[in-house]
Amino acid sequence: MVLFYYIVFPGFLATFIAGGVASWIERKLTARIQTRVGPPFLQPFYDVRKLFIKEITIPEHSSRSIFMISPIVALASISVVAAVVGLNLINPAYGFNGDLIVCVYLLLIPSLCVILGASASGNPLASLGASREMKLVLSYELAFWASLAVPVLKTNSIRLTDIMSFQALNGSIAGSLSGIIAFIVAIICMQAKLAKVPFDIPEAETEISGGAYIEYSGPLLGFFKITQYMMLVILPLFLLEIFWGPMNSTVGILKYLLLLFVIIVLENTNPRLKIDQAVKFFWFGLFPFGVVSIILAILGV
Amino acid sequence: MDKGKILSRSIWVFHFASAACNNCDIEIIDALTPRFDLERFGIKLVGSIRHADCLLVSGIMNEKGATRLKFLYDIAPKPLAVVTFGSCGASGGLFTNSYNFYGPPDKIIPVDAYIPGCPPRPEAIIDGIVKVVKKLRTVRCVM
Amino acid sequence: MIEDIVKEKLGKRVLNWVKRNERRYYIEIRKEDLEESVKILFKDLELRFSIASGVDTIDNFEILYHFSADREDKFFSLRVKISKENPEVPSISGIITAAKWIEREIWELLGINFTGHPELKKLLLPESWPEGVCPLRKDYNKNV
Repeated sequence: MVLFYYIVFPGFLATFIAGGVASWIERKLTARIQTRVGPPFLQPFYDVRKLFIKEITIPEHSSRSIFMISPIVALASISVVAAVVGLNLINPAYGFNGDLIVCVYLLLIPSLCVILGASASGNPLASLGASREMKLVLSYELAFWASLAVPVLKTNSIRLTDIMSFQALNGSIAGSLSGIIAFIVAIICMQAKLAKVPFDIPEAETEISGGAYIEYSGPLLGFFKITQYMMLVILPLFLLEIFWGPMNSTVGILKYLLLLFVIIVLENTNPRLKIDQAVKFFWFGLFPFGVVSIILAILGV
Repeated sequence: MDKGKILSRSIWVFHFASAACNNCDIEIIDALTPRFDLERFGIKLVGSIRHADCLLVSGIMNEKGATRLKFLYDIAPKPLAVVTFGSCGASGGLFTNSYNFYGPPDKIIPVDAYIPGCPPRPEAIIDGIVKVVKKLRTVRCVM
Repeated sequence: MIEDIVKEKLGKRVLNWVKRNERRYYIEIRKEDLEESVKILFKDLELRFSIASGVDTIDNFEILYHFSADREDKFFSLRVKISKENPEVPSISGIITAAKWIEREIWELLGINFTGHPELKKLLLPESWPEGVCPLRKDYNKNV
């Protein structure tokens, strides 16, 4: 039964399909903002299907095993997070104590696998992409953890179901002053975690020819793409569970679509930052806001 | 479903320009602008040859460009379609009698479609893409 | 006006002064005066060195050094005529480091020797190109 939850619903398969739809919404909305027509509905699935029929090329100077395992590990970890987050939405009895911390740790693994895979590629441009991804992770993780401390402080618990039931009784955490500041900080960190403009520095296509993914081809690149689609669904749902309260079916979907819309608009209206600008922004611009929200949460506001 | 049909729905293009006058390069970019919008066919420009399904060749091959073109063709993951762009890609264009002309691209790698013009209009580019898509879907590609 | 200042500073070195239109001036000098003229234009008057272009007119070779006066929007080109029997000209890469590569290109395509250039080796042509064959000369025959 656990295997069913992990692989089919709400784990890998269901999140992959939802992620494909979310990715299509993103591309279509981006095209509409640029007054273009945009791709047809099944385009993200066509892309992934095409990637799985190409041959795998492994560079000569790469570390073979790490190069091939990284995408698979990324996909496996995001599937676990999908199972935990999705099960908490369906039936609160499936949570366990500490699953908030487990989720945040597991959400770090896809970025780590990109760094490992890029470093194992044996290509100088890939190592440039890996170093940029490392710096980006170092910069946003701090602000992310600071913003996540606010729901924990307010509800005195590190269990997702407790936080959700607290919000069902007392109103959502984003309703209070500390909560809304923490929510906004978390949204901007999520933009960086999803590697979307203005923070798509590691995969800067025009600058470093694909950056961290430059040597990946065929099914391995397909695994990374599926991971990206799934992150587009899981991360907003995770933040909504913690910050924005009761997630019943229709209200929850509307809230998720609103958050997706925010991501897309941020993506289309901003230029790409340089890596030193991004690090300064997160450490000295966003982290103080996180600290302020923690202090306000301790004071009870 | 054979590979050609699957490939024809989502073609990722890698652009290789060797000793080009850059007129064709500008036309490639403007085929992606909102007026002609190639993304609705699933076409995207990618930065790395490992991600590519279509190698778009423009410009004149001199000896340095020819060695690099052969290398790119070898390391690209198959199945791959090759399209030459402009009259330089088809036959050498104005520069056939030049001192550094090594040969047209089809002397170096097998070519699937030719898009004529100097530079080709975006309508000609779309016509060429339709040719490539039809070829991928009907001919049993060995690739 | 900048062209009067240029004319005055170059003084006796100017063999021929042609004003093509409001923005283009062609100044012919001898190749012995090249280094001093470049010093005057580049260091004293602080014009920007744009590019050098070499041409094989059938009687002799010509190299044009193009300098740009950006604020006044005018271009000054120094024309140096070089005989075909002894194609040599002093290199200006001691004064302008950016001239190193264009002199390598003119050397390999036209065969003009730049005396005093630190490393005169091929820039654009492939390694398998035979030495001494200069493609942009008028007597270059492709089929030989």
